[in-house]
Amino acid sequence: MNKKWLVLTPLAVFLLLCVFLLKGLFSDPRELQSGRVNQALPAFDLPDLMTPQKRWTNADMAGQTYLINVWGTWCPTCLAELGYLTELRERGVTIVGLYYEQGYDPDFGDRFDLAALQQEVRDMLARAGDPYQFNMLDLDRQFILDLGVSGAPETFLVNGEGKVLVHHTGDVNARVWRAKFAPLLGE
Amino acid sequence: MIPELGYFSLTLAMVLCVLLFIFPMWGAHTGNLRLMRAAPSLAVGQFIFVLLSFAALIYASLTDDFTVAYVAHHSSSTLPWYYKITSTWGGHEGAILLWLVMQAGWTAAVALMSKSLPWPLRARVLGVLGFLAVGFMLYTLLMSSPFDRLLPYYPVEGRDLNPLLQDPGMIIHPPLLYMGYVGLSVSFAFAIAALLTGQLDNLWAKWSRPWTMAAWGFLTLGITIGSWWAYAELGWGGWWFWDPVENASLMPWLVATALLHSLAVTEKRGIFKSWTVLLAIAAFSLSLLGTFIVRSGIIVSVHAFASDPDRGMFILAFLAIVVGGGLTLYALRAGHVSSEGRYSLFSREVALWLNNILLVVATLIVLLGTLLPMIHKELGLGSISIGEPFFNQMFTYLIVPFALLLGAAPLLRWKQNKLKQVAGKYGLGVIIALVLTAAWLFSSFAKVSAITFMATALALWIVVMSAQDLLQKTAQAQSIKRLGLSYWAMLLGHIGLALVIMSVALTSAYSTERDVRVVPGEQVALGGYDFRFDGVKVIRGPNYTGHAGVVTVFKDGEQETVLHAEKRRYDIGMQFMTEAAVDAGLSRDLYLALGEQLTGGAWSLRIYHKPFVRVMWLGGILIALAGFIVLFDRRYRRRNPKEAQA
Amino acid sequence: MRFVFVLLALVFAVSASAVEEKYDFANEEQAALFAELTKELRCPKCQNQNIADSDAVVAKDLRDKVEQLVKEGQSKDQVIDYMIDRYGYFVHYQPPVTPATILLWILPGLIVVGGFAFIILRQKKAAQKARWSEADEQQLQKLITRYKRKESA
Repeated sequence: MNKKWLVLTPLAVFLLLCVFLLKGLFSDPRELQSGRVNQALPAFDLPDLMTPQKRWTNADMAGQTYLINVWGTWCPTCLAELGYLTELRERGVTIVGLYYEQGYDPDFGDRFDLAALQQEVRDMLARAGDPYQFNMLDLDRQFILDLGVSGAPETFLVNGEGKVLVHHTGDVNARVWRAKFAPLLGE
Repeated sequence: MIPELGYFSLTLAMVLCVLLFIFPMWGAHTGNLRLMRAAPSLAVGQFIFVLLSFAALIYASLTDDFTVAYVAHHSSSTLPWYYKITSTWGGHEGAILLWLVMQAGWTAAVALMSKSLPWPLRARVLGVLGFLAVGFMLYTLLMSSPFDRLLPYYPVEGRDLNPLLQDPGMIIHPPLLYMGYVGLSVSFAFAIAALLTGQLDNLWAKWSRPWTMAAWGFLTLGITIGSWWAYAELGWGGWWFWDPVENASLMPWLVATALLHSLAVTEKRGIFKSWTVLLAIAAFSLSLLGTFIVRSGIIVSVHAFASDPDRGMFILAFLAIVVGGGLTLYALRAGHVSSEGRYSLFSREVALWLNNILLVVATLIVLLGTLLPMIHKELGLGSISIGEPFFNQMFTYLIVPFALLLGAAPLLRWKQNKLKQVAGKYGLGVIIALVLTAAWLFSSFAKVSAITFMATALALWIVVMSAQDLLQKTAQAQSIKRLGLSYWAMLLGHIGLALVIMSVALTSAYSTERDVRVVPGEQVALGGYDFRFDGVKVIRGPNYTGHAGVVTVFKDGEQETVLHAEKRRYDIGMQFMTEAAVDAGLSRDLYLALGEQLTGGAWSLRIYHKPFVRVMWLGGILIALAGFIVLFDRRYRRRNPKEAQA
Repeated sequence: MRFVFVLLALVFAVSASAVEEKYDFANEEQAALFAELTKELRCPKCQNQNIADSDAVVAKDLRDKVEQLVKEGQSKDQVIDYMIDRYGYFVHYQPPVTPATILLWILPGLIVVGGFAFIILRQKKAAQKARWSEADEQQLQKLITRYKRKESA
């Protein structure tokens, strides 16, 4: 009797494994859980991309519910989501751009050309839509690292108390908005 | 036309395989000898057609037929001819076709070399192999044909073979690995046939053993060469990354290692029968599971294979049928198998049982470590990573009892032993191993950590005990010539593992590296060598251009060698590849990788000094050799009664 | 010829100390800690690669951050916590101990214990079976007498 039960275990374990393998087949292994969700937005003090004399800090956004969208002109997926983000802005969603400058690396002795970047950004936003209230430039990528950003595009939903409610990796589209963002905004 | 013939030939092969499954199985079931007798010729026939099909793909690749999608995606006209051939297994569809060639080859080999087997068993073994082949052929024909055309709009030039795969290691690594994976299907087929026939005895173990040995030998060689390839080609100086793809090959290897030890017990003593059968099923199941993990994209791996959920579904379904079916049969039949045979706790049987337990635990650790992150996420518990720190820690714990046992076990006899008889030898072994380790390490290295000392001592313990065992066995057999090849194989395998343990311990502890910014003329010291950077020259290969950093190596002021660390850019796809320069030696490797160009004529350069790293692959080759030597043992050479008389 | 090389070596021996390290640490311990950390931290963007081996921008940023934190004198755990705070447990190759991951350690342990238990239980059973009982003795005597009769018959 004991032995009959024993010889069944391999089959049982295998079937259980198959269930997970099947589930795993339909989910994206690269989708990650963030370390930042349900925590306070890290402190930032960054220059405006277009008028670098102006600096933005957490205090400027206090009391507002808004999105932070990490993007760059070098990133094709960012270009693809600009249209939908612009639509969101027209519906009254506040979106702050956090510009991810990828090419600049002081170790390589790179020179950084702000004017050229501003022109690039203006061109792209004019062509594909401008969803942003304003854009911040995080040249040394410290705030980007504090946010746990690993690439672009990534989008954060921050509430009035400065808490991060959503950290989404990849583009924002209607489906993602409905599933991840809308429920938290009471839409 | 030729690619269509290839496809057609594969279809024919599949028809033959369907018959190869039905005829002998039905024949064995009803006792119809004529049906069973059809099996061997069907097995050989399908092999010929699969070979033709593979030849068609090679032909398409060699003739740069870019109307064939597979060739257009994995080859190019500028590719050297030998890489055009290897490109036929550089992509998913071709790799599966190569798998099929191996499967067909093993099946034909079993058909030709199993004449001494009783017909019901022989027929069932071939029937199971036929069934497995049908599954993979269906997959190839329906979902991943390498013969699909890009018509009418085809490219004038192919996309080229992934530069990572343009390496001699890659020519032999996948075929060897597949030989191993697929070879385990023979052990699987023997196990299933034995369960169906109800003939689970030592004769079965004896028949199954050489096949398992051969498959295991190929698998060992495949893994060893894979590790060497990663070291030479990935440019990071690492030799094992605990990547899911590597784990996928390690799991069947661990279980196959357990299996061939367990088969020895079953053959010699007629015990552990149901356990041995379970291991035989598990070894091939893990090969299939590994294939699923690698090909479905279910887990993020550094080796990016094309992934596609439909294909994943098919492989999963096939896996469920084969493994689920095998385990169901096991659950139905193995309960009735009883293993009689008495042995005391202090016996070779128990030592081999413990060996099996440790190997199964090792497999479980790799399996859990590979799959748990995925399960963790599916359960909604968040993303985690399981990698090097975890695996290294667990394997360090495991290797201690394993190596101790490995040194001690060969001296034990079957059934029972008296501690008195072996205690002296064990004591002597411990002392010699400790003294040798201390003398060697403290004289060669400035710092010796406890863990390095322990691992080296364990390796030497295995060597010393093997030597003592050899002396004792030679005395008993009265002549060194009378020791069977199986014995020599065991010795070789064990010493190979000792070399691997030693190499891993020393290279982990004493490897040093420097990551520097150099301008021509500058010199860097590392590991007792001086590396002078002589500048960079432009290089031009058949399908790439690039830079080669020229570095002259000095030891004690004398020139040792000149190394060229390359950074290539392949013309098609514009991919950058670091081609490390290695000055190989048994006691150390000097490994150079050229980094980026910096300002002011400077380059970044990574230099590694890796003591004894090469010994690891030497050990791996010795272990593999052990698997092949056994095949020439007289016991397994006697294929049929007629040959024996002659 | 040899003389020239010695001379060259002497000349370059001076410049050898001037070579600029990519990561220049104050002491060996920090350099070792940096090497260890960059091997244990996983690049969040790439396929399965640690940040030491990856060329991705984020991997470089994490490397630079690890360098900075190590130079500030932070311990291994502090640096790992810093990264986990931002990138979640995914970023560390050593899994956290949770009710689910505990299996990683428990299951192997169970198999070892089970394997030992099995072989010891089997010994006991075999020993019981092997004991020569009164009934066995009677059975043997019966058989002996029966075959004796047959022989004589």
